[in-house]
Amino acid sequence: MGLKQIELTVNDFSHPFLVESDETLLFTLRNRLYLTGTKEGCNQGTCGSCTVLLDGKPVLSCMTPTLRCVEKKVITIEGISSGENLHPVQKYLVKNGGLQCGFCTPGVVMTAVPFLEENPDASRREIKEGLSGNLCRCTGYKKIIDALENAAAEMRS
Amino acid sequence: MENLSTIGQSLSRPDAPEKVTGKTRFLTDISVENMVHGAPVYSSIPFGKFNNIDISKAEKVDGFIAFVSAQDIPGENQVGVIISDQPLFADKTVRYIGDSIGLAVAKTPGAALEAARLVKVDYDKKSPYLSIDKSRDATGNFIHKTNLACHHRLRNGDIDVGFAEADTIVEAHFKTPYQEHYYLEPQACIAFPIEDGRIKILGSLQCPFYIQKAVARIFGLPNEKVLVEQAPTGGAFGGKEDIPSEICARAALAAMKVGLPVKVVYHRFDDVQLTSKRHPFQMHYKVGVRNDGTLVSAKILLEENAGAYATLSTVVSYRAAVQAMGPYVIPNIHVDSNSYYTNLPPTGAFRGFGSPQAAFGHERMMDIIADKLKMDPMEFRLKNIVKPGSQTQTAQRLNESVGAEETIQKAARLAQWNSFNPDRSGRYKHGLGMSAIHYGNCLGAAGWHMDGSGVNIKILPSGDVHVAYGLIEMGQGAETVVTQMTADALGIAPSRIRVLPTDSAQVPDSGPAVASRNVIMTGNAIRDAAKKLLPVLKKAASELIECHKSDIIITNDKVTDNQSGVDVGFHELCDFMSRSNMSMEFTGWWHTPPLEYNAETGVGEAYFTYSYATHIAKVRVDTLTGQVFVDKIFAAHDVGKAINPAGIEGQVEGGVAQGIGWAITEDFIMDRGVVTTPNLSTYLLPTALDCPEVETIIVEKSEPDGPWGAKGIGEPSIIPTAAAIANAVSSAIGIQMNEIPLTPERVLNQLNKTEIKK
Repeated sequence: MGLKQIELTVNDFSHPFLVESDETLLFTLRNRLYLTGTKEGCNQGTCGSCTVLLDGKPVLSCMTPTLRCVEKKVITIEGISSGENLHPVQKYLVKNGGLQCGFCTPGVVMTAVPFLEENPDASRREIKEGLSGNLCRCTGYKKIIDALENAAAEMRS
Repeated sequence: MENLSTIGQSLSRPDAPEKVTGKTRFLTDISVENMVHGAPVYSSIPFGKFNNIDISKAEKVDGFIAFVSAQDIPGENQVGVIISDQPLFADKTVRYIGDSIGLAVAKTPGAALEAARLVKVDYDKKSPYLSIDKSRDATGNFIHKTNLACHHRLRNGDIDVGFAEADTIVEAHFKTPYQEHYYLEPQACIAFPIEDGRIKILGSLQCPFYIQKAVARIFGLPNEKVLVEQAPTGGAFGGKEDIPSEICARAALAAMKVGLPVKVVYHRFDDVQLTSKRHPFQMHYKVGVRNDGTLVSAKILLEENAGAYATLSTVVSYRAAVQAMGPYVIPNIHVDSNSYYTNLPPTGAFRGFGSPQAAFGHERMMDIIADKLKMDPMEFRLKNIVKPGSQTQTAQRLNESVGAEETIQKAARLAQWNSFNPDRSGRYKHGLGMSAIHYGNCLGAAGWHMDGSGVNIKILPSGDVHVAYGLIEMGQGAETVVTQMTADALGIAPSRIRVLPTDSAQVPDSGPAVASRNVIMTGNAIRDAAKKLLPVLKKAASELIECHKSDIIITNDKVTDNQSGVDVGFHELCDFMSRSNMSMEFTGWWHTPPLEYNAETGVGEAYFTYSYATHIAKVRVDTLTGQVFVDKIFAAHDVGKAINPAGIEGQVEGGVAQGIGWAITEDFIMDRGVVTTPNLSTYLLPTALDCPEVETIIVEKSEPDGPWGAKGIGEPSIIPTAAAIANAVSSAIGIQMNEIPLTPERVLNQLNKTEIKK
């Protein structure tokens, strides 16, 4: 245990600060950088609400030690789009009503963006598989899947 | 005919852009200056007494600030929402693992949790009641004065005469389980002390006015000294109806004691162990029917596991009792609905509120009877379904807005019910199951005294319109439909309207945001406000345009003199009104119509109107593994009038998903009062792969007392699902499945038993 001085690159900004050696990336993001878009749903790696990108790959930030992210690039929901310019995944979640309470939504976005970038031709079934680690208690997923299909089409074009 | 420009359209959610970008600050995301943290200290035994609370070890935790318990309460140590049986902090007796003993307050959440764990309590254990049967059969050592938390009955007609007329009498037992809400944002609030002695609460909550009253009672303060604001709420489903009252009251006591804002966020285990869930029911149905399929008599016993405190059991029990035989005509019926205390977490509000359980009973029963009569389950339902002019099981005459029959017909058509004829020779057995329900809208006769809601509409000089309402947005889309209804009530563009976060200081007590009542209550209150507001707008417009006020029409965001054709923008009118120093703020109020109901017999008008729905489930059962797959749900809903069709689909798809969870995957297990499935790796919420495609069919039988004809949809969406699935599975494998969840183990056991019998 004990504090360690590190530098972390989050959403293309480098932040120097002290972290506990057993601290999770979720804790660091929410409590040291005040990036509260990343949600704590279960804190056990089971709900997907805390998903962020680590060097472009989705990870569960509640299961990721911050010290393992040094010299890597972290992208959070705050870094996925800027201003009014929504990412197609976000745009179609809005358009298709793919959210209700919105608590799981940042995690859904952070899972869907790299998934659709890697699998631009994913079938509906494959999109469901790609999203199966993100739990949503409100929507029943149908409108989320609709949105991701539409986003994929736009990302392909 | 009213000119509707946004009602009936799928306006996109005004809160969506902030939610998809992570900008929405849920309560758990909010920190304030000097904020400290509270963690609950609770009983580790299911039943017993305690003498001593030792905080000496907790006090040594770095960052410890205070320990709050019963002795800190200046007012009444009572938080029971209907029956006063629940102390805020246990007073010597604890009744479940999770019963509140105190709140540890510390500088960080971690320190608060650690301090809470180190509080030592000495108990004298008593033998706990861990099931309905044990509780009912107790002869002494009761949990409260008695083990019966509440009882509702219905006595309509003469069941003996009815059973004598019947050609066939069918009896069956059913069991439905707990369901944990598992909203993704846990219970959370911040309580702020205000220097003048008032208290402010900011919370993830459903019922601001419950909290206001609860906190005021604890402090012995008038209600208005407690200010309650809602923060964006990450799911609720009934789980944030009454529970936040106790959490906020404890946080408020701590805040007043330490003079600092106190935040309480429940750790997930605590959230699952301490807070309410759906009541488990055990049900006995005895139903008499003629050979032609006419229902003649029913005797129904519903037994409910209320847990340690009554909380909302009395109203859950009421709703289940008056809906026990579903949307069917039955002239003779007795229902007894009994809630029993147990030494388990209290059960309470969960989407449907007793209805999904009763629906499981009556809809399984309908299929079992149809099977006995060798009738098609759809034909059997249609034979008995309520229509305009019919009487319900409580002898309530239904006149208008009765879409039950149409929901059955439309769902059946889409599901190709009549041509379904699967090959059942292989490993996978296919089945189609139907379930039809009715759902009494709003609080009904049992809660009529508090079934009024208000709005406050404020016109700003810019032409923007602010709407304060007393119910809440919990994800269901309240803000969206309030925007649409206000826009069309005033004839203005939805983009002008901002629905304010719910704040007890802005609106009168509007009752709870439950019972699928937002559209009806808030919509009618908006119409009431518009009735007062429109003449003022028209008079002002006639002065601005210099014409007669009766010639003014406000529509599509334009204010027009119908005679001359001269028009001005709505914002110009607002600017003129502001400069002319005119009144620009209007309140609206609506109360549900009076009901004639006899609480002794249960006969009468239980609710002023009903939503109707039929779900048809298409399932596949793997007879090798026992797994049940839901391939498709056809869901027809009579909503009166669809204010926002996409929003209705969203409610239906989400309700169906929760229904699938309850029916198949969500197996809530406790061992001597401890939840052994507290996390998502043991308590399985349906994933994207478990949820089928849902075909939503909207039926619109206009309700005269609904705003623009609308009725509620939030809860009807979940009520028929589980029964439809169980009916489909029963039909697929030829075994009556009368208990859920239909886990692979349960299905396989039943399949194996039948094989042995063969």
